[in-house]
Amino acid sequence: MHLSLLIGLVVFSILAVLLQDLLKAAISLAAASIFLAVVFFRMNAAYAGVFELSVVAGLITVLFITAIALTRSEDPLREGKFHRLLFPLFFLALVVIDVLVMKSLLGRIPALTNPEAGTFGEVLWKERSFDLIGQIGAIFAGVLAVLALFRPSGKSSQGDKHE
Amino acid sequence: MSNFWIVNMGAAALLIGIGLYCLLTMRNTVKLLIGIEVIAKCITLALIATGWTKHNLLLAQSLVISVIVVDVAVLATALAIIIRINRHTKSLDVRKLTKLKG
Repeated sequence: MHLSLLIGLVVFSILAVLLQDLLKAAISLAAASIFLAVVFFRMNAAYAGVFELSVVAGLITVLFITAIALTRSEDPLREGKFHRLLFPLFFLALVVIDVLVMKSLLGRIPALTNPEAGTFGEVLWKERSFDLIGQIGAIFAGVLAVLALFRPSGKSSQGDKHE
Repeated sequence: MSNFWIVNMGAAALLIGIGLYCLLTMRNTVKLLIGIEVIAKCITLALIATGWTKHNLLLAQSLVISVIVVDVAVLATALAIIIRINRHTKSLDVRKLTKLKG
């Protein structure tokens, strides 16, 4: 079951990369996120699964679809056929290298640590509280960047005239 | 348990390969962002799989949430830049972004 979920994740990621239609690619990426969220739920990582499902499969897909709707290309951009033909060879080589490396890793599993005490909230708010400050900073930086990029064009055109 | 970790890390390695292939070969700027997203998925999978194997799942989940939040901020900014550039160049081709070329 777990293996089939991982295969689904890889297959939909490949589709997201290779599909020419951007809308289909964005939806494939959302499907890959759903597979990843189910993998997280199966590994008892419920909080990460919820975030993956709501933020990555939901919000990021909405952002992608909005961006695709707001952009338009005068000449339809088609990726070269060479890249699509090259991908199976690349993927085969990647799988072979992956299997060889993972075989060599079999004896080097990370050492077990003592099971964690407490709840997720305690770990997030007490142990990783500095991360939260960074996250808030990242979100504000993103919001300010988007606001700066989408400010009314009148000011920027005036600035261009002065130049 | 060890095999489980190996299988997850194998899938994560495949995902990072797919994402790097996308970043290296594609010309569409939206596709490049999709490649970055695939690599972000690889990172979250590797973190959770290692946390599960080491019985450190709570810490791994808090790190994954940090990764997702930063990822969303980066993606929103990058998509806004792409939309602005598209209004000027009327194209999504990354090869046409040569304004800063000397």
